[in-house]
Amino acid sequence: MNEQPVMVFKDVVKVYPLPSGDVTALDEISFQVERGEFISVMGPSGSGKSTLLNLMGCLDTPTSGDIYISGTRTGDMSDKDLTYLRRDRIGFIFQYFNLFPLLNIIENVTFPMMLKSQKSVDPEKGKEVLRSVQLDDSLFTHTPTEISGGQQQRVSIARALINDPDILLCDEPTGNLDSKTGAGIMDLMSELNRKGTTIIMVTHDSHIAEYSRRTIRIADGRIVQ
Amino acid sequence: MIFWEIAKRNIRIHMLRSTLAMLGIVIGVVAIASMGILGNSLVATVSESLSSVGDSVTVSPYSGGGGGMGGGGSGTSVNLKLSDQNFQQIKRAVAPNVAIPVLSTSERMKVGVGTDDIVATIYGVDPQYIPDLKLVLTAGDYNNGNSGCLVGFTFAKDHNIKVGSRISIGSDGEKGTLRVTGIIEERGMSFDLSTDNAIVATQDWFDNTYNRNDYDQIIVKVKEGQDTADVKTLIEKQLNKREKIVSVMDSKATLATIYSTFGTVTTFVTAIGGISMVVAGVSIFNIMMMSVSERIKEIGIMRSIGTQKKEVMSMFIYEAAILGVIGSIAGGILSIVAGYLISALMLGSTKYLITMANALSVGEGICFGIVVCLACGIYPAWQAANLNPIDALRHE
Repeated sequence: MNEQPVMVFKDVVKVYPLPSGDVTALDEISFQVERGEFISVMGPSGSGKSTLLNLMGCLDTPTSGDIYISGTRTGDMSDKDLTYLRRDRIGFIFQYFNLFPLLNIIENVTFPMMLKSQKSVDPEKGKEVLRSVQLDDSLFTHTPTEISGGQQQRVSIARALINDPDILLCDEPTGNLDSKTGAGIMDLMSELNRKGTTIIMVTHDSHIAEYSRRTIRIADGRIVQ
Repeated sequence: MIFWEIAKRNIRIHMLRSTLAMLGIVIGVVAIASMGILGNSLVATVSESLSSVGDSVTVSPYSGGGGGMGGGGSGTSVNLKLSDQNFQQIKRAVAPNVAIPVLSTSERMKVGVGTDDIVATIYGVDPQYIPDLKLVLTAGDYNNGNSGCLVGFTFAKDHNIKVGSRISIGSDGEKGTLRVTGIIEERGMSFDLSTDNAIVATQDWFDNTYNRNDYDQIIVKVKEGQDTADVKTLIEKQLNKREKIVSVMDSKATLATIYSTFGTVTTFVTAIGGISMVVAGVSIFNIMMMSVSERIKEIGIMRSIGTQKKEVMSMFIYEAAILGVIGSIAGGILSIVAGYLISALMLGSTKYLITMANALSVGEGICFGIVVCLACGIYPAWQAANLNPIDALRHE
């Protein structure tokens, strides 16, 4: 078993240069995420949550400090390699589901697989993952607009899981759902975590954060707890 | 591949917009290809009407400069005739090619009793040279005797002339009567004798009737394997040594000039058609930019879950390619129809529609349409691929 942390932040600083003066969004952040953890990141608006999420998702690079994903330092990686890293090691779950409206459910789920294999893929794995997030078979050929928000978020979770990533990064995964549907989604995520999936979830809902086992609170770009 | 599928579906859900963009390409291709077809058909039609192509050198008195002429002094800038001495010099210079002295005049004449006077050209040619001029007869024969003549196809048709008909020459027939012994096949525009609307009489009859002992032009029929340009040079060297007394026209060079002129005209009208393709290209560019701006968030999602820049780019290039290929092929098919109609209306004939040159014109139009679409899709595709994923994800 690989005991290496799936994510390490070491003295990470992110500064946005603006005409009115530099803005420090993250100030010497250090933490690590062990395999199988379920972490929520909480903080008020403007605290640096989104910046942290972008750095964790390799969508942005730090001004200084080091970030390691599964032992790989991301600072020196090219845009192409960072893209491969996002495709193979990270699964994204968004607040607004962000499914592709032109593709049906199966195609949405298998999209990252197709990126990886560079050819058409067997939809059977997509179906398996969709079943594992408790989506009914009859919905597989529907388009995202034909299913409910909760179902869309399940599809989004299935898409994030399809390439067996090391980490699931969730940005307010229940933010656009009613409380009952949101609870269903959180139960599903807890279940995934129990099966070994590492989850980092950004939220400002303390009830939702209770599903996680550890909470990182940030304020003014620093970890406060 | 999934990006090809997405490109197809995006076109399908924006069918009206895509169809309008394709319509622009269709119009562009039709404009270019049909203009090409028209130009090619025009050249083919003219080529057909140019008989005795490329084997003649025509010598006529030099009409420019206004000075006197040498070579026996019979040809002057006022008189504009060639002397027998000129003929003998040319004959010697071009041997073994055949030099044919030709007399010509425009004359009033009457065909049949009670008809109106008509005006036509009469050529005087020694009958021995008729076979060299390759005058093919549709009726009658060459053996026309002294008062016999051959008449051109159009002349015979317009005035209902048959072999045996008599033509009174002069206002009141004062120059005698010619008997038609043969009808010359239609020759079209010619570099030697334009016989379609003319009469070819004997040189003796012409000399006697008009009291002539000189010539209006000398036609040199160049044998196969010899270059008309060389023959022209020989004549010019022989006769224009001291001063220019004759003008020498090389039919092959003239033909080349005619084709070159038609080529330029064809290129020009095709370029005008190309303007519509530029407009179509702007339309495609606009559509592609709209497509990118509508899908910024989608591009952000794609990039965030691991789509490479080149894959995003390919998706938009595919879209432009689909619009270009469908629009251009439809335009190519329609341009054949347009070429048919234009040829039928403007040239009165569609027999030159199916030719290699026209196939090339249609092919060029199609290729140009596709290239324009791809070129107009590159910048929007590049822009899409280089969007910052974070900004794109935030886009509403």
